[in-house]
Amino acid sequence: MLAFRNCRTVLQTLSQGIRRQVTEQASRSLSVVPDEAHKDMPIKMENPYKQPQKGCILCSNNIEVDYKNIQLLSQFISPHTGRIYGRHITGLCGRRQKEISKAIKKAHSMGFMSVTLKDPQFMKDPNICDIKHLE
Amino acid sequence: MPRYELSLILKAMQRPETAAALRRTMETLLQRGAVVRDLENLGERRLPYKMSKHNLRHSRGGYFLVDFYSSPSMVTDLLDHLGRDVDIVRTTVLKKEEQPQSVSYCCSPPSPNSDSISPSQS
Repeated sequence: MLAFRNCRTVLQTLSQGIRRQVTEQASRSLSVVPDEAHKDMPIKMENPYKQPQKGCILCSNNIEVDYKNIQLLSQFISPHTGRIYGRHITGLCGRRQKEISKAIKKAHSMGFMSVTLKDPQFMKDPNICDIKHLE
Repeated sequence: MPRYELSLILKAMQRPETAAALRRTMETLLQRGAVVRDLENLGERRLPYKMSKHNLRHSRGGYFLVDFYSSPSMVTDLLDHLGRDVDIVRTTVLKKEEQPQSVSYCCSPPSPNSDSISPSQS
């Protein structure tokens, strides 16, 4: 019996010793030895493949929206009906889309731009909107 | 004093008559204590749609732009006066902003899917 109790205490102390050794080892590995221990750990850096954030055409080229510039405004209307294209077609951001829309309506009311059609001299302009017209 | 922009559409006339109409407009402005800054001629072109004014149907017109400083109370009076002028087809007064618009970067636009049918984004 005594032997058994001794055995148990010996086992306990042994296990404690082992636990202590293990924790010591663990702390040593995570402690301050950066070069050796962290050689194959990933280095913290921001994504090198990150592309620069693209804005809409007007923002990226710093174009000012003016109601007098009917050529610019005509690029955002339909050539058949003269309707203003939506955001999913023009690809403009919220602010610019609103500015263009307001400028077009201003131009309509002030007698600069036609409402139901696109001025024929601007028909040959390059298409910046995401829409395919039947030729 | 706030800065205004008067967009003027005059009847398609000969040069001396256009000059006379412009002179009249300038005089009304100056009489009411406006400080005219700039007068631009945007050319004579075909109007985008036919406009009727003073019992006449206009299809061509001369576009002019007047930049001026004035008191806000004068504007309605001015528009009233210009409305009675037979040679003037359309007038619009807009307030001009002094500060340039700050160019802030917009968020990325919705990806344009020309081939696939994408749901319409609000």
